[in-house]
Amino acid sequence: MNRNRWLSLLSPLVLLGLWELAVQIGWINRIFLPPPSEVFHTLSELIATGQIFRDTGISLLRVGLGFLLGGIPAIVVGLFMGVSPVVRALVQPLAAAIYPIPKIALLPLIIVTLGLGETSKIATIAVSVFFLVVLNVAASVLQVDPRYFEVARSFGARRRDLFWTVALPGSLPGIMNSIKLGMGFALTLIVGVEFVGADSGIGWLIWQAYELYAIDRMIAGLVVVALVGWLITVGLDELEYVLVPWQASSVRIKERRVREHVRIWWTTIRPWSYTAAMIPVLLGASIAAYDGAINWWLLLLTMIGSVAIQLGTNLINEYYDDRKGIDKVQVFGIGGAIQRGELAAWQVLLAGLLAFAVGSGIGLYLVSVTGPFIFWLGVFSVATGFFYTAGPFALAYVGLGELAVFIFMGPVIVIGSYYVQAETITLPVVLASLPVGFLVAAILHANNLRDLDIDRQFGKRTLATLLGRSGANIEYYVLVGGTYVSLIVTVALGVMPWLTLITLVTLPAAVRLMRIVAVETEPHALQPVLRQTAKLHMRFGSLLIFGWVAAWLMGSFGYI
Amino acid sequence: MEPKIRIDNIQVVYPGRGRTGPVEAVGGVSLDVADGELVCVVGPSGCGKTTLLRVLADLEQPTSGQITLRRDNPARPLKATVFQGGGIFPWMTVEQNVAYGLQLQGVSPAQRIATARHWIGEIGLERFAHAYPTQLSGGMQQRVGLARAFAFDAEVLLMDEPFGALDAQTRLLLQQTLLQQWERSSKTVMFVTHSIEEALTLGDRVCVMSARPGRLLHEVQVPFARPRDAVALRTDARFSALFAEIWGVLRTEVDRARADEVGA
Ligand SMILES: Nc1ncnc2c1ncn2[C@@H]1O[C@H](COP(=O)(O)OP(=O)(O)O)[C@@H](O)[C@H]1O
Ligand SMILES: [Mg+2]
Repeated sequence: MNRNRWLSLLSPLVLLGLWELAVQIGWINRIFLPPPSEVFHTLSELIATGQIFRDTGISLLRVGLGFLLGGIPAIVVGLFMGVSPVVRALVQPLAAAIYPIPKIALLPLIIVTLGLGETSKIATIAVSVFFLVVLNVAASVLQVDPRYFEVARSFGARRRDLFWTVALPGSLPGIMNSIKLGMGFALTLIVGVEFVGADSGIGWLIWQAYELYAIDRMIAGLVVVALVGWLITVGLDELEYVLVPWQASSVRIKERRVREHVRIWWTTIRPWSYTAAMIPVLLGASIAAYDGAINWWLLLLTMIGSVAIQLGTNLINEYYDDRKGIDKVQVFGIGGAIQRGELAAWQVLLAGLLAFAVGSGIGLYLVSVTGPFIFWLGVFSVATGFFYTAGPFALAYVGLGELAVFIFMGPVIVIGSYYVQAETITLPVVLASLPVGFLVAAILHANNLRDLDIDRQFGKRTLATLLGRSGANIEYYVLVGGTYVSLIVTVALGVMPWLTLITLVTLPAAVRLMRIVAVETEPHALQPVLRQTAKLHMRFGSLLIFGWVAAWLMGSFGYI
Repeated sequence: MEPKIRIDNIQVVYPGRGRTGPVEAVGGVSLDVADGELVCVVGPSGCGKTTLLRVLADLEQPTSGQITLRRDNPARPLKATVFQGGGIFPWMTVEQNVAYGLQLQGVSPAQRIATARHWIGEIGLERFAHAYPTQLSGGMQQRVGLARAFAFDAEVLLMDEPFGALDAQTRLLLQQTLLQQWERSSKTVMFVTHSIEEALTLGDRVCVMSARPGRLLHEVQVPFARPRDAVALRTDARFSALFAEIWGVLRTEVDRARADEVGA
């Protein structure tokens, strides 16, 4: 990123800082203008209660329906106007006369005819979008250079061909612009429409905040409106890129760079590693459900928090691996973006810390809901994640990686997720989390097993390099075998419902993997073991969750 | 034998608009082109060459006079036009542009892509087959326009300064390509250019047009044997003699056209 872009980020931040300061010092009365921190707090409450999603969703639904109902006919009629002077003569004067009327002024008329319900809101959007788009589309057809029609005719184009090969593609850039204009217009309008006689929607939220004189809520609503508008703009730019690929403006080149950035980050965050973070969360929640406590909103938050911590761990890992020069020889390169010079080290570090911040934020919210136990669990998790590769006692480099992963991605998350729901810990939960812990450790170990020779060469100390090849093989059997042994034992003890034995269908796959490990030493031959172990974890975990959920449902229907 | 193209006393007057009076672009041109002949038309700029070609392409109605193009093979398209500057569609890739005429004729996608690929190779733009015109230089766009007309494989080829925006080397190469293609096929070609050398290199006959309103002033039979080599021709003594002859006619016309522009 260049310096100017950072400067352009700086000025809003400075402004926010000054605003906060001015209120805190007392230069501005917080009753009239609450500080950013308060707005942020209000926003997080609106998110926590889910209200913001409901109101934004409803507004977007209205905009979407109105846009489709007004925009699609407008594009069709506009195209006809463009190609046919007769249609143009019929529609143009009418459209041109109605176009300049501020559409919000039509609202009372529409309410009188259609009532106060959804229909009138959608109709207002549709009508406004229609007149804006129809005229713009017609104009963009007329702007197509007449020479192109001549070229087409000289090659024998009939009327139909003229439309499909010249008029339509030639006016697509203009049509795309009309769509953007229309969408911007619809977004402006919906807020106004919802001020009047609505009982939901983002406009209503702002208006209601005004009536309650809750300025923090008003500003929070505005922030959401701005954010939604921005997201839609980005989406439409993406659509334009697909529909009008021949427009070679600098915007496109920039967009291509953005795309490249997305790709780089996508591979760096290792998206496939998140099932490992989600399965224990779902397991804990399904056990809680079995025990009669399930809150979907808290479950969602726990999931996001867990993924964020995992994300932070991956990024910090990437950063310190580069720092310590560990991944210099990447045989199977996932990650490595810093070494390839695609990302600056500090960007990765910052993103990792940001992910931890989000994870911690959610964690703190969960703490405020459920109590301090989650706080200590969270501190422990973040510390594990951070010190996994960072700091002087980097766990991964002293042979403690498996243990850390076992504890953190097994019991800790399962227990945490269960606690968030049920606000207690039980022995069954601890025991039920063991199989998952074994398997997730097996994934990491499969990785170390594959890299054993290289790691040894580069002095990276994993448990595998410490144990040597045959010891490392035994470790793999213990981890995979431990999964099934702990499962059967806990079921036999009556701790887990017998339905969880359905996970035993994965046993043949597990045996197959152990057989490969027994005979292979080559990284290329062991690469599939890593992938298959991760898959085994996912299948085993899903079936285990399925077992618990099935037991829960059967119990609640009275079969057990 | 009947001529392939008969231009019979064509006159084109553009109606004036506002303060500018009507413009007589072409002032009574008659010309017969035999089947398989390559006729070059040279003239000062603004003398009505493009207008004449547009009449032949059915894009302009003559104010008076008549044209006839004889169709010999009902299965083939009658005429294809190479437009000044290329006239290629910005919304199509090079390949789609070259295949355009075939697409309109209903040729199957596989076949028209194969044909297009062949012609893209002939004009040396293989690497740009999937590029959009905005990514091409002016000269490259002209070449695409050329390939599109070749791929269409019509009986009559109408070419309006097709090599105008090319650098000297590419121009020579493409002149060679055109000569080869024309000598191999039996096309009738009407080739408009402002370059006397080009007209002498390519044409069986060179027609010299007067300044506006364009009329035919002079006609030269080009004696060089075929197949011709665009490079070797330049050293032929007859080449410079013919060049001098045409330039002699053109120079007064260029001066007249200039005086006209200054006076107008
Ligand atoms: N559509 C038009 N309307 C009015 N005048 C035109 C039009 N097209 C061309 N002309 C005029 O007719 C004359 C001949 O044009 P053109 O055939 O393009 O010349 P050339 O191709 O020989 O340079 C020019 O003076 C030009 O200004
Ligand atoms: Mg011209």
